Amino acid sequence: MTAQTNQSWAASRLPCLASLCACLNARTMAPGGSYFAAFPFLIAVLAAFLSLSGIVLAVFYNPWHAFASVQFINRDVNQGWLIRTYHATGTTLIFALAYLHLFRSILIRAYRAPAEFSWLMSVKLLLVLLLTGWLGFVLTGGAAGHLSLVNAANAALSLGGLPGAVGLWFLGGPAGQGTLARLEVFHALLGISLLLVVWAYFASRKAAAQVEPAKAVAFYPYYLAQYFAALAVLAFIFVLLGFYAPGVSGVAANHIPAGGLALPLGAGVPWYLAPAAGLLGVFPTAKLAVAAAIVAVVLLYALPWLDRSGPDGAKGKVYCFFTWVLALDVLGLGLAAAGVLPFSPVLAVLFTGWFFFHFLVLTPVVTAMEAK
Amino acid sequence: MRRVFALTAILTILGIANAHAEDTLSPLHFQSQGPLGTIDKAAAQRGYEVYKSVCAGCHSLGKVHYRDLEALGLTPAQAAGEALAAGGTLNSPIKGAAPLNMGGAIPPDLSSIAAQRPGGPNYIYNYLTGFGPAPAGVTLLPGHNYNAAFPGGQTAMPDVLHDGAVTYQDGVQPTKAQEAADVAEFLAWAADPNLDARHQIGFRAIIFFAFLTIIAVASKRKVWRTQA
Repeated sequence: MTAQTNQSWAASRLPCLASLCACLNARTMAPGGSYFAAFPFLIAVLAAFLSLSGIVLAVFYNPWHAFASVQFINRDVNQGWLIRTYHATGTTLIFALAYLHLFRSILIRAYRAPAEFSWLMSVKLLLVLLLTGWLGFVLTGGAAGHLSLVNAANAALSLGGLPGAVGLWFLGGPAGQGTLARLEVFHALLGISLLLVVWAYFASRKAAAQVEPAKAVAFYPYYLAQYFAALAVLAFIFVLLGFYAPGVSGVAANHIPAGGLALPLGAGVPWYLAPAAGLLGVFPTAKLAVAAAIVAVVLLYALPWLDRSGPDGAKGKVYCFFTWVLALDVLGLGLAAAGVLPFSPVLAVLFTGWFFFHFLVLTPVVTAMEAK
Repeated sequence: MRRVFALTAILTILGIANAHAEDTLSPLHFQSQGPLGTIDKAAAQRGYEVYKSVCAGCHSLGKVHYRDLEALGLTPAQAAGEALAAGGTLNSPIKGAAPLNMGGAIPPDLSSIAAQRPGGPNYIYNYLTGFGPAPAGVTLLPGHNYNAAFPGGQTAMPDVLHDGAVTYQDGVQPTKAQEAADVAEFLAWAADPNLDARHQIGFRAIIFFAFLTIIAVASKRKVWRTQA
């Protein structure tokens, strides 16, 4: 009876509320955490925000007349342009945060034991984001998105074997009228599944955290206050981009309706897909590109085991330097894919080579040398 | 206080004197461009006149409705009049004449042309004023015209604007450059009709989140101070 009276009215009737409160008040977190450690939290907030704005868009979206329905949302639905701006700007920011989070995780070696699983979830987060973002780009029904879809469908047709079968099942055959209807479903499912990936990331990060019990603090109010400050900064950047640079998350050629035989000048992919497009684009056949994508993903997943410094290895300056070089390399891949750099095709090959070189050779060798 | 009032009065008078004398052609600039840009409604209304009398001969504006013209400052009765003259209602899309086949090239719909072309209204202005005789060494395809601004230099569209192609009701001289600039501003509005609202909401939101950020950071510091 006494235990009952200690609990609030709601918690005694719905016990999981009590465990949530206990979770928020438990002293399990290390004090003095960096603002950058709030990135996964911000990603979770943005994923929820994108799901909500996506539901509103899905109500008005018509995959059979994709471009016309997007124009309808922009021009004729009450505040439809605002919701669409939210969805596009949220996309840009969630990708920016995911790239920065992965970069920081490599830089501070957040992937090392016992936190391997939170690294695996971080990589999975980026992969699911890339697929969801590409689907969203295709769903706009613009000329650039349609060109990308036709290329993907043709690649799937030419693959054969298991990868071809998976590709054909996913896209439903050559890019046609019904393709966007099924891709809309996958876009929504993958987008909502992002929340599950982030949840798994938080659970594994919590399990891996090593905190001195004497110094530990609770989420409430310490990290709630910090995350709220991080969220306010994010919201500030969000409105700056969304209201004054709404074109940042799209490509100009996507304002042209898909179809017809004309291929618009400057058709490309949005910035957040550009590094992946640059990496896949250097391979002459679809089979090689798929193989390279699989190798790249496996290498990213394998990073905790490619790092040979052991659990107590010191943080080396050379490894830090090469991590910054890797960031520039990925940036360069994106710029080369956009054709901004001179000699873009040559540079894309060089940057792709460096990406594999970094993980296959540099990471094991440099970490092993620095651990001595 | 008196000094402030005098300054305000002088600025107001200067502003009134300046109101109709603004020259957007030298150098060329569009009020809709830039982070704080708003649609120049007077220019866009003149641009609609140019579209109606010249462009609509071949190009449709199918995503814009006659009711949308009220956003440019037309009264509902005026917009309804425009619709009636074209044989439609306020809810009809603005359709031009049936697309002509210009030797295989179909005139594109102009609803989003300012968003589709890199440079937006600047490109439209350069294109409409870019016609001229082909330079030596350029052989034109049959039925094509030389245009310095068009990628490839050759377009099936003829040079349609000239001095006095329309009559402006507000007294502005309808020179070829003025017509091109006005229709470019009109098409910038057609491609992004929410530009004014976007910039207004954005300005308020930025002020709000700037203050929220300051308060949130201050509250974070206060909370953490008790922990130390």
